[in-house]
Amino acid sequence: MIDSAIAREYLETGKCATCGVIDVHAHFGAFGGIYMPNDSPEQMIATMERCGVDLMVSSGHTALTDMARGNAEITAITERYPGRWYAYLTYNPNYPDLGRQEVEGYESHPTYVGIKFHPSSHRYPITGDAYRPALEFAASRRLIVLTHTWGGSAYDRPELLAEVARRYPEVTFLAGHSGHGQFEECMAVARECANVYLELTAAYAVRGLVESMVKGVGAHKIVFGCDLPWFDPHYAIGCVVMAHISDDARRAILRENALRLLEGRRRA
Amino acid sequence: MAEPSYMDCNVSLGYPAAGVYRPCGTAEELVAELDWAGVDGALVHHALMREQSPVVGNRALTEAIAGFERLAATWAILPPQTGELGEPDALFAAMAAANVRALWAFPDDHRYILGRATFGAFLDEVTARRIPLFLPRDAGGPRPPDTWNLVYRLLQEYPGLTLVVAAHGPWGEDRFFRPLLEQYPRFHLDISRYELDCGLRELVGRYGHERLLYGSNFPRNAMGGPRMMVARAEIGDDARRAIAGDNLRRLLAEVELP
Repeated sequence: MIDSAIAREYLETGKCATCGVIDVHAHFGAFGGIYMPNDSPEQMIATMERCGVDLMVSSGHTALTDMARGNAEITAITERYPGRWYAYLTYNPNYPDLGRQEVEGYESHPTYVGIKFHPSSHRYPITGDAYRPALEFAASRRLIVLTHTWGGSAYDRPELLAEVARRYPEVTFLAGHSGHGQFEECMAVARECANVYLELTAAYAVRGLVESMVKGVGAHKIVFGCDLPWFDPHYAIGCVVMAHISDDARRAILRENALRLLEGRRRA
Repeated sequence: MAEPSYMDCNVSLGYPAAGVYRPCGTAEELVAELDWAGVDGALVHHALMREQSPVVGNRALTEAIAGFERLAATWAILPPQTGELGEPDALFAAMAAANVRALWAFPDDHRYILGRATFGAFLDEVTARRIPLFLPRDAGGPRPPDTWNLVYRLLQEYPGLTLVVAAHGPWGEDRFFRPLLEQYPRFHLDISRYELDCGLRELVGRYGHERLLYGSNFPRNAMGGPRMMVARAEIGDDARRAIAGDNLRRLLAEVELP
C-alpha cells in the first residue's frame, strides 16, 4: 500500500490535519451542460469541511455571460465566509469597457484576489488587445489571473499564454487545466515563465501527469483546483496524494504554493 | 467494519498508441500498481484488443495475465459474419476454457454497427448467459450523444443485456444515463470518471448501489481518484463494499459458460 502519511490519513479520515487543501479553481452557480447536485453555497462549504479544504477561490458561472450580475453574486457570497472563500472577478474581453469597470470597481472588496479569464468560452484570444485593460489592472495591483487553457485552442492554448506571460511579468498566471491535451507545452511555459503556474483541474485525472509535472517543472509550480461544485475534491485529492511523488511535493501542490501566492492578496 | 475489497472493473494492459504517461506493459507492473492503490483485483483488457484487433489482443491478454489470480480476463467481440473469432459456440467454449467472463465492444474502432442486425442471436446468447458487455463511452464516436444514442438503441433491442458503460465523462452525464437506470435493470455503470461532487451519494440514494462498479480507466486515468472517492463517499458501508468490488464479483459469478 502507498507509503504516504498524507495519503493514508486522507483515505482513513477524508482529510489531513497537517495538509488542509487550498482550491484555487472553483466556481459557483448552475451550468447548462452538467447536472450538479451540490451547488448551493452551504453545500459547497459542507463539501470543503468533508474534504479538508481550508480555503477556495471561485468565479461565478453567471459572470461568464453576465459580468455585472455574476461578479456581484460571487463577491456577495464569498464575503459571508471570511477567510475561507475568495473571489475571482470574471472579465469578458468582448465587453472591455464593462469589464474594466468590473475588475476596477471591486478593487477594495475584501474577498477579491484575482481575475478569471475564459478565452475559449468568450471566443477571444488571450493575446488580443481587449484583454489589455484587465491585464494592466492586474499588473498594477499584482493580482492573480486564473485563465482557462486548453490544448489546441485558438484562444488559450499554452503558446498563447506564454506570449501574455512574457508581456506581463508582474502578473501571476494560473494555467487552468494546465493546457489540457498540450501538457508538455504548458509545462514548457511554466518552466520558462516564472509567473506561470500549472493548475490541476481535470488534468489531475491523467495518470502519471502529476509525476511528470513534478519531475519536469517542480512541485513548487503546481497548484490544486477541482472546479467545485463540478467535481468531488476527494477525487482530485486522491489523484494527487496517490501519485508517485513525495509528501513534500503533495504538501506543496495541495496547500503551500497557493498560500504563498495568496499571501498579501487576502484582506478578509 | 472491515475495509472493502476493491476490484477494478476497467483496467488495461499494454501501450496505447496515442501514448500515456505511465503505461503498464506487464502483469507484474499492473499488480504493483494495484498494490500501491490498495486494490485487490482487476478485470483487465489489453490495448491490442482495441487498437490492433481482438484477434491478436484477446490472446495477448490471456497470455499476459496467466497465473495472476488477482487479474481476470476480458475479450473483445467482432461481428459473427466475418468469422474472425470463430463460430459463437466455439467462442463461448473458448471463453469457458480461458475463464473469460466479460466482453468488450469497440464498434467505432472496429467499424461495425452494434445492434441486432449485426449480432442477432449472438447477443441473445450473451444476454442469456448473463455475460457483462462493456462499452467505452466513446464507443459510438467522440461526442457523448453518439454513444448514448447507440446505448439506447442497443438496450431497446436487447433489454435484458448486462451492459456496462465504462468511463463516461467527468461531466456526470446523468441526463443521458438516468433514464437507462430507470428502464433497464441490467444496465450498469463504471464510475471511474463519475467525478461529480456528491454524485455518488445522490445516485445511490435514488437508484441503489447494485449497478455501480468501481473502476479506474487505467492507465489513461489515475487509480487514486476513484479509489479515494469511493473510500470517502457518504454512501454507507454496505453500498461502499458493493461498489468497491462485490457488485463486480457478483456479476462475474452469475455468468453461465458452457
